[in-house]
Amino acid sequence: MIFSSLTFLFVYLPLTLAVYFLAPLRWRNLVLLLVSLFFYGWGEPVYILIMFLSIAIDYTHGLLVEKYRADDKKARWFVGQSVIFNLLLLGFFKYWDFLAANLSLLPGISIPLLGIPLPIGISFFTFQTMSYTIDVYRRDAPVQRNIISFGAFVTMFPQLIAGPIVKYKTVAADLERRVHTTENFALGVRRFCVGLAKKVLLANSIGALWDEQLAAQSAGTLSVLGGWMGLLAFGFQIYFDFSGYSDMAIGLGQIFGFRFNENFDYPYLSASVTEFWRRWHMSLTSWFREYLYIPLGGNRGGTAKTLRNILIVWFCTGFWHGASWNFILWGLYFAAWLILEKYVLKSVLVKTPVWLKHLYTLSVVFVGWGIFAIEDLGVCGRYLAACFGGAPLWSGADGFRLRSYAVTFLALLLASTTLGRDGWRKLPDRARKVLTPLLMALSLVLCTAYLVDGSYNPFLYFRF
Amino acid sequence: MTKAYSRFLTAFFCLFLGGLLAWHIALPDRAKSETENRTLAQRPAFSWETLKDGSYTEAVEEYFADQFPLRDGWTGLKARSEYLLGKREFNGVYLCGDTLISKVETPDPELVERNLSYIQRLEEMAEVPVTLGLIPSAAEVWKDKLPEGAESWDQTALLTESDIDFQTVLTVHAGQQIFYNTDHHWTTLGAFYGANALLEALGREPFKENNFTPKTASTDFNGTLYSQSGIHWLAPDTMEFWAPEEGLAVTSWKTGKAEEAPLYDTSYLSAKDKYSAFLGGNQPLCVIRNESLPDSAGRLLLIRDSYADSLAPFLAQRFAEVHLLDLRQYRASAARYAAENGIDQIVVLYSVQNFIFERNLVLLTQP
Repeated sequence: MIFSSLTFLFVYLPLTLAVYFLAPLRWRNLVLLLVSLFFYGWGEPVYILIMFLSIAIDYTHGLLVEKYRADDKKARWFVGQSVIFNLLLLGFFKYWDFLAANLSLLPGISIPLLGIPLPIGISFFTFQTMSYTIDVYRRDAPVQRNIISFGAFVTMFPQLIAGPIVKYKTVAADLERRVHTTENFALGVRRFCVGLAKKVLLANSIGALWDEQLAAQSAGTLSVLGGWMGLLAFGFQIYFDFSGYSDMAIGLGQIFGFRFNENFDYPYLSASVTEFWRRWHMSLTSWFREYLYIPLGGNRGGTAKTLRNILIVWFCTGFWHGASWNFILWGLYFAAWLILEKYVLKSVLVKTPVWLKHLYTLSVVFVGWGIFAIEDLGVCGRYLAACFGGAPLWSGADGFRLRSYAVTFLALLLASTTLGRDGWRKLPDRARKVLTPLLMALSLVLCTAYLVDGSYNPFLYFRF
Repeated sequence: MTKAYSRFLTAFFCLFLGGLLAWHIALPDRAKSETENRTLAQRPAFSWETLKDGSYTEAVEEYFADQFPLRDGWTGLKARSEYLLGKREFNGVYLCGDTLISKVETPDPELVERNLSYIQRLEEMAEVPVTLGLIPSAAEVWKDKLPEGAESWDQTALLTESDIDFQTVLTVHAGQQIFYNTDHHWTTLGAFYGANALLEALGREPFKENNFTPKTASTDFNGTLYSQSGIHWLAPDTMEFWAPEEGLAVTSWKTGKAEEAPLYDTSYLSAKDKYSAFLGGNQPLCVIRNESLPDSAGRLLLIRDSYADSLAPFLAQRFAEVHLLDLRQYRASAARYAAENGIDQIVVLYSVQNFIFERNLVLLTQP
């Protein structure tokens, strides 16, 4: 199930809220576990088994790590087992076909493709559960002896399928004892409405423009301007889609009394690529820093080792986003820019005017989106070539699209900056009090209209 | 946030979600949507089988969306807000002032080539002359009305393949209401010009406008583009009947067997699908016999799409018999049909927009 669907909004969510808040406090983790399993099973009922397996294995390994804490070798061995299990799970379901197809290119090797549908959210929940045993081992979090509470952590539906990646230690205390207040509920609801509007009204709308430019590319009518318009559209789509989803997750978490960390911090305001990655998908970058980069030695082993570690982390970051070469390339592309900034550009950027730094950062990031968005590297190359002058400057259709999306672009630009937030904070208290429910109503009504329309499927006696 | 204010926001949110859920449950399910012109999904039956393969949950989502309270209101609201944002394309339909024009997508050039070759084959095979008529769509004839820069596939090259020159006559009269504003078909006026182009191509005497007295059939016609675009605020179209019904005997195979039928089925005028009033809509085969004309006036076979529904009443004034054959439902050999029924002339008549995506023309190659 996804948040931006009619069945989630109007059936699942009201019923879940009702059951959860009617249940006595000590049953609430159980309720959360059950409704989350239902949520997960909605799309692929069979994959609920993966959830059970995940809960059972990571739960036991947590206990084993705790039990053999005195014997560090054994404890490490159990941490290793749990990490390997999670990576195998991820590897099998997400990467099998990619690895099989590429290894089969080697002479004498032939591995069959399985074509298994990807269990939704597997990249997120395997990372979350991996953090548990590691946190227990590092004494960053207490072991969880209650399997229901642990199950609730693994399956928790607000962040189950699209993050943020919630580390166990972030919610360990909330799992045991959390405060349910009306204020938290109201704040959560407000946050949820913001996220819903970002996803349904902004991301989905601008996504259509990206599809059009991609179609123009394959029809051979893409222009330079159209190419950049497409990259902008995709960059906005992915940002508002993803950050909208994170907002909804954080809001839902707050309703249920959990405090998740922020996942985005106005990334398009960054003045360097390094800064961009401090503000974009923060839960993923911090996960990799904490559980991969630093364990590898971070930047403490001299330049050569630091370079190696950066390359490993960004290879993994890219590959995590999808089982395809373009994602690996995308990760390494950023590794190159980060290394460049670290060792060469750092001193140059200090002297660069601010506007130029922003322009530089956004250009790097949006060209990156071109690599990210187009899996076929040949098509990707041709698309980017068009953006950099390998096409006519402009086409009549671009004018039409620019007019069609001008207002949307303006809204996206505004929403990418802190202008809206700061303006909102400057409003008198009274005005905010009146505007909040009105804006929430607007978000809910318009999102409902767009979602109902998404199923709008007129049968046209069109062909006749 | 004060406690009272938090309660207010919480209640507001819960009431919105819960209220719509309650409304959805209380609302009786509808069988079909007039606006969308289709049957709506009904409550699916549960089985472990369908749950396991995922089709059950999919069906529930579809059912929930289809039966959503105020469904047409929500879709209308979306179209209006898109309009305010400056959008002029709505689900493949351009809003051009007071008229809607369907965008013609770029076809697969191989399919178009093949379709043309099938007609070539029919020409070689049939014992009577075969004429191809391709009707330009509104996006071509009313090109000037499209928003600046709006894309639509260029039909001009394909139109040169047509033996009947609809393009010229429609372009000359482009200032008149030759297409509906809310429907993709030509109006009866457009069909009148079309009939003359066809008659001239076949060397027959064309009509004069004063041969007919137009009768208003409906002033309340909201057509396919109204449904497709979700734009519900344009004035409805007026539909007219021109050719008189007297002296014409219509036989329709709508139900699978031959039955007498009206030329204008006025029962459709009170439904959404008003264009189907012409001959009663889709059917595999239909024959219009003009009893006041001698057999020497000839028998015409139209292999056709729905543009012919409003055209046929005109042609029936000049031919002793007009046979209309729809390849989507009539799967047997057209050449044999022509031979068995003493046809004198075959016309393959399609609008460009249908022709370029039509996948049934291969049936014409059957001996």
